[in-house]
Amino acid sequence: MRKIWAVVRREFLERVRSKWFIISTVLGPVFMIGITVLPALLASRSGGVRTMAVVDWGSGAFGSRLVAQLGTGNRFNALLLRATARDTAAVLDSLTHQVQAKALDGFLVVGDVTVESGLADYRGRNVTSLRDMAILEGILRQAVVMERLTRSGIDPAVVQEAQARIELRKLRISRRGATGETGEATFVLAYIIGFVIYMGIVLYGVNVMRSVIDEKQTRIIEVLVSSLKPFQLMLGKVIGVGGVGLFQFAIWGAVAALLVRYRQVVFSLLGVPPEQAAAVMLPAVGGGLVFLVLAYFLLGYILYSAMFAVVGAVVNTESEAQQAQMPVMMLLVVAIIMFPAVLQEPGGQVAAALGLIPFSSPIIMPIRYAASDVPASEVAMSLAVLAASTLAVVWLAGRIYRVGILMYGKRPGVRELMRWARES
Amino acid sequence: MTQEHVLEIQRITKRFAGHVAVSDLSLSVPRGVVYGLLGPNGAGKTTTIRMVMNIIIPDEGVVRLFGDDLGGRHHSARIGYLPEERGLYKKMRVRDTLVFLAEAKGVTRAAAAGKADLWLERLGLADWRLRKVEELSKGMQQKVQFISTMLHAPELVILDEPFAGLDPINAQTLKDIIVELARGGTTIVFSTHQMDVAEKICDHVCIIARGSKVLDGGLSEVKRVHGGTHVAVAFEDGGDRAVGILGDRSLVAKADDYGPYAELALADGADPQDLLERLVRSGARLRRFERIEPSLHRIFLDKVGVEAAQPGAEVASA
Repeated sequence: MRKIWAVVRREFLERVRSKWFIISTVLGPVFMIGITVLPALLASRSGGVRTMAVVDWGSGAFGSRLVAQLGTGNRFNALLLRATARDTAAVLDSLTHQVQAKALDGFLVVGDVTVESGLADYRGRNVTSLRDMAILEGILRQAVVMERLTRSGIDPAVVQEAQARIELRKLRISRRGATGETGEATFVLAYIIGFVIYMGIVLYGVNVMRSVIDEKQTRIIEVLVSSLKPFQLMLGKVIGVGGVGLFQFAIWGAVAALLVRYRQVVFSLLGVPPEQAAAVMLPAVGGGLVFLVLAYFLLGYILYSAMFAVVGAVVNTESEAQQAQMPVMMLLVVAIIMFPAVLQEPGGQVAAALGLIPFSSPIIMPIRYAASDVPASEVAMSLAVLAASTLAVVWLAGRIYRVGILMYGKRPGVRELMRWARES
Repeated sequence: MTQEHVLEIQRITKRFAGHVAVSDLSLSVPRGVVYGLLGPNGAGKTTTIRMVMNIIIPDEGVVRLFGDDLGGRHHSARIGYLPEERGLYKKMRVRDTLVFLAEAKGVTRAAAAGKADLWLERLGLADWRLRKVEELSKGMQQKVQFISTMLHAPELVILDEPFAGLDPINAQTLKDIIVELARGGTTIVFSTHQMDVAEKICDHVCIIARGSKVLDGGLSEVKRVHGGTHVAVAFEDGGDRAVGILGDRSLVAKADDYGPYAELALADGADPQDLLERLVRSGARLRRFERIEPSLHRIFLDKVGVEAAQPGAEVASA
């Protein structure tokens, strides 16, 4: 036991001390802040007030109505310019200069023709801002519709009411009742969970593989195998590297919890306006989800790292491993490819099947659980299948590993691997 | 009497695909000796040592260490093993490496750390203990490897071709360590194909070839029993007149002839006195005529040559 512990300790400490670990651990929270704050920040930055002119070369009634409409939001600050057909060119010229001098963001040219045929010109520096243009178009449409209806004799108050903004709030209902979570937040949460588990399994699994190759290449394996059983060595390695993964997740989890708790402070530090900060939707993460994510990550990691250990044991160099690891990688990639389909219909048959297959369940099942209600019996079944498969794979991997670490030269084929596994 | 033998190998055989690496080999290593496992390349030395260390399992036979058959891995805290192919973790710090390797053998951390410092100090690596192994020169890395073998004060040290690839200074360092450990009562088993080294430091030897034992025993006993009668002769005139006598198989079994100088192994029952008499009578002018103790190298060549060589391809005789 003490011997295994020595291996666990070495694998853990050597990794935790490495630059790679420190950088990725720091980058995690930076990424978390990035994906929550950046959209809010961008929204508020582009939400700065745009100064614009409205040039009306018609009667002026529509122009003043438009200016009033533009002024109701806090996005545009518009002023009305009247122009006649004769001096229009001169007015536009001088406005263009003002835009170039950045005194104005742009100007809108309207006339009676706008109301009749819906034609208007906008010239400005912010034409590439989809958001600005969408808002501007919306307001223009609203103004034109209102003007037309008013001209047809409909009470402006009725028109106003008819144009009330429609907003569809999409809230998820789970078994525990209405959750108050939006569909988007649930989707993002499920996506992140799947991605993090996938990355965790790949990164740490490959770490186990590298460690095996390193011991083989430096020939230190010979001294190790004379001191402890190959299975003890493999187990120590898997546990040690897995411990690094859990440690990193724990740091990220703690930082995430702190960030959520003190999000107002973070937002104000980063200069996100309060109304944007309030709009940031954070999905609710329950204890059950945390438990499942950890359970599936651990079992999935052990399952795959045992396979990666075998890859490391049968190759001689890391470049050889690039090729030899393909079959293992493919198993993981299947889960990733099916990712969107599962999110589309988390309760569907495809999702249920992938949630049961041990090679995809570590990634698929937590996604399903986060995005929908999965019956407890299904979760239990999936975990049982995964745990049993993991035990079987680790046992088999240990037998191949034991032979492989002392073999150099030509890479064995599948039949030879099976022979190794059979021999004692 | 088993207790007197630190290591006993009883009729072990190991076959690999296509060939037999070790065949029905038995040997016993008494406590406190320096034991040389000698043989040409491919004789099965490394395979034998690996079976002792539990790295591979014999197909037949038993390895007994310290009086039981639990295997080298079970006793790893009592054994220091230096494999033929050496290596250390490149990215790990020197001291951490030593402590880890000792821990893996079952030594406690605290004990290992203290001893690592003492040894690093002793071999002049104290300033390097917090450096990564890859920052050390090759010679220093070899020293670190010795330390990892000896650190836990093992009762039995097993070294596989320890002098291969060492620079002269490190070879001397290692030899000094071996001699000192042997004086302190540590049992040392090492394999080599360098007979001159073995002759200087071994008490016991076992020569193996093609996986089988050729001979074993105490060094002086081996020389006495297997050495036969050896004579060194030197001629003033080039020895042309002696050619016929040296070629007489009833008298001289084998001659390592350099012309003016020759080392002769006499045939069974031949008397050196007869040889001298015949040489004098032949008129050859002798500069030297001396009964010599055969070198281990000579015995090795004689024995292994006979074993390994095809009929007719023997050591050239004049």
